[in-house]
Amino acid sequence: MATIEERIKQVTARVLKIDPSEIRPEHSFAVDLGAESVQSIELVAMFEKEFGIEMEEDAALSVETVGGAVDFIRNVCKMQGVKTEG
Amino acid sequence: MATERKSHPLVDAERPNLLEDRFPHTLPPLIRLSGPVVEYIDGIPVQFDFGTIKNRDIVITDTTFRDGQQSRPPYTIDQMVHIYDLLAKLGGPSGVVRQTEFFLYTKNDRETLRRCQELGHKFPECTGWIRAVKGDFRLVKEAGLRETGMLTSCSDYHIFHKLKFPSRKACIDSYCDVVKAAFDAGVRPRCHLEDVTRADIDGFVLPFIDRLMEISDKFPPELSAKVRLCDTMGFGLSFPGAELPRSIPKLIYKMNRECGVPSDRLEWHGHNDFHKVHVNGATAWLYGCNAVNTTLFGFGERTGNPPLEGAIIEYIAIKGGLCGIHTPVITELADYMRSIGLPIPDNYPFAGKAFNTTSAGIHAGGLRQDERIYNIFDTTTLLGRPPRVAITDKSGADGVAHWLNEFFGLKGDERINKIRVHELARWVIDQYDVEGRLTSISDQELETKAKEFYPDYWARCKAGSK
Repeated sequence: MATIEERIKQVTARVLKIDPSEIRPEHSFAVDLGAESVQSIELVAMFEKEFGIEMEEDAALSVETVGGAVDFIRNVCKMQGVKTEG
Repeated sequence: MATERKSHPLVDAERPNLLEDRFPHTLPPLIRLSGPVVEYIDGIPVQFDFGTIKNRDIVITDTTFRDGQQSRPPYTIDQMVHIYDLLAKLGGPSGVVRQTEFFLYTKNDRETLRRCQELGHKFPECTGWIRAVKGDFRLVKEAGLRETGMLTSCSDYHIFHKLKFPSRKACIDSYCDVVKAAFDAGVRPRCHLEDVTRADIDGFVLPFIDRLMEISDKFPPELSAKVRLCDTMGFGLSFPGAELPRSIPKLIYKMNRECGVPSDRLEWHGHNDFHKVHVNGATAWLYGCNAVNTTLFGFGERTGNPPLEGAIIEYIAIKGGLCGIHTPVITELADYMRSIGLPIPDNYPFAGKAFNTTSAGIHAGGLRQDERIYNIFDTTTLLGRPPRVAITDKSGADGVAHWLNEFFGLKGDERINKIRVHELARWVIDQYDVEGRLTSISDQELETKAKEFYPDYWARCKAGSK
């Protein structure tokens, strides 16, 4: 099973139409990867779908980096009882 | 005309003058009238003092169930009773919506009237509408009505080509016989001068009204005949200088001051064939007709009648206060009419779904700064309709979510957050970025997409509006 970070990179690459190998944990979704306003919303929606979780809107949208998203989603998965990494 | 130019120095200011004495926002913009108006009638200057209207008992009468039904499939009894109930609520206790008229010919007509009467409202008073046939007064009496309208058509198109009278005298004699029958039955006749704006005013209309007044003078005041000026084809003209028979000012002057029909027995009934229907009604008020006959949302024969809700707003603007009118009922009536299949265009004033929606380029932020910039009055308080922002590429997910929640009528925790609206927000952005669109997105387009992306909410919304 892919790691949380790998899955986040795949989703991010698909939504932002970039190569997943170009994405690094320290990258900012908006500044480095070029996510526009609606794409930020789409990223949150796609992360929810990918992991089968529900995220609090303002908290999720305040996450700025890929690494931050990994930590945030891992925490949400844990709280909602969703298994992620084998 | 002399063209001497006049200098107009700037009155500089560092604080805005928002003209709030005329644009209070808590009410529709007030109509302030000053100075006499002069109309030349038969070569003589005649003054009209519009200022008196503030003290005159001007009223709105309704013909939604008569003329209004001549342009659509019939209402059911329940629908009419509900509409009547709402008319009473709208016009308030002082009877701004003073009367409404009913057909009396079928069992359903009479059942409708009976059930409306049973509601016990003082206003609008129920009146009848019958042909100019003596025997029909029995129907009026049996229905317990004190007043009925009756057709007294007065253009030669009607007298000779429709009613086939051999002469004008025979026509007047016939009308007067029926009027006498009304008096004998103890019913006040309201003579509907059909096609008056295409009639021979001096040769037929005024002689008929003279006789009508002579007959009326022999009966108690409460039975005195009323006169409804029917602009059947919408030919009436409001502006000074227009000639008879089309001039509304001259027509009212002749009735009012030459024939002696008092203002409280004069009524204007218009049609919208030339886009003049509302202003013609307001003009009739100003020149001396106390009653303007209307229909809800202007539904009526062909192009329709003066819209009742337009007259309501005009009334408030003229009087400078609500006078007991309950304006949010306009929205209640519009919602009800839509629910029973009557189309109201989205841009229709005061009642259309988009009447107070700003266009592309005007943002929610601007409205938030000062709603008065783009809203005609406080539509939230007066009509229960907050101003809205059209969806464009600048709306963002926030704007789209706002639109969806309002469209579905969702409140509090039920509201859809902006993460859930990402599909619609994406579709909106693609309209501009991919399709190269330059115009705002209509509610109809958004509704189609809302149905596609949010079928569960759509089902709930549709079920809720039935």
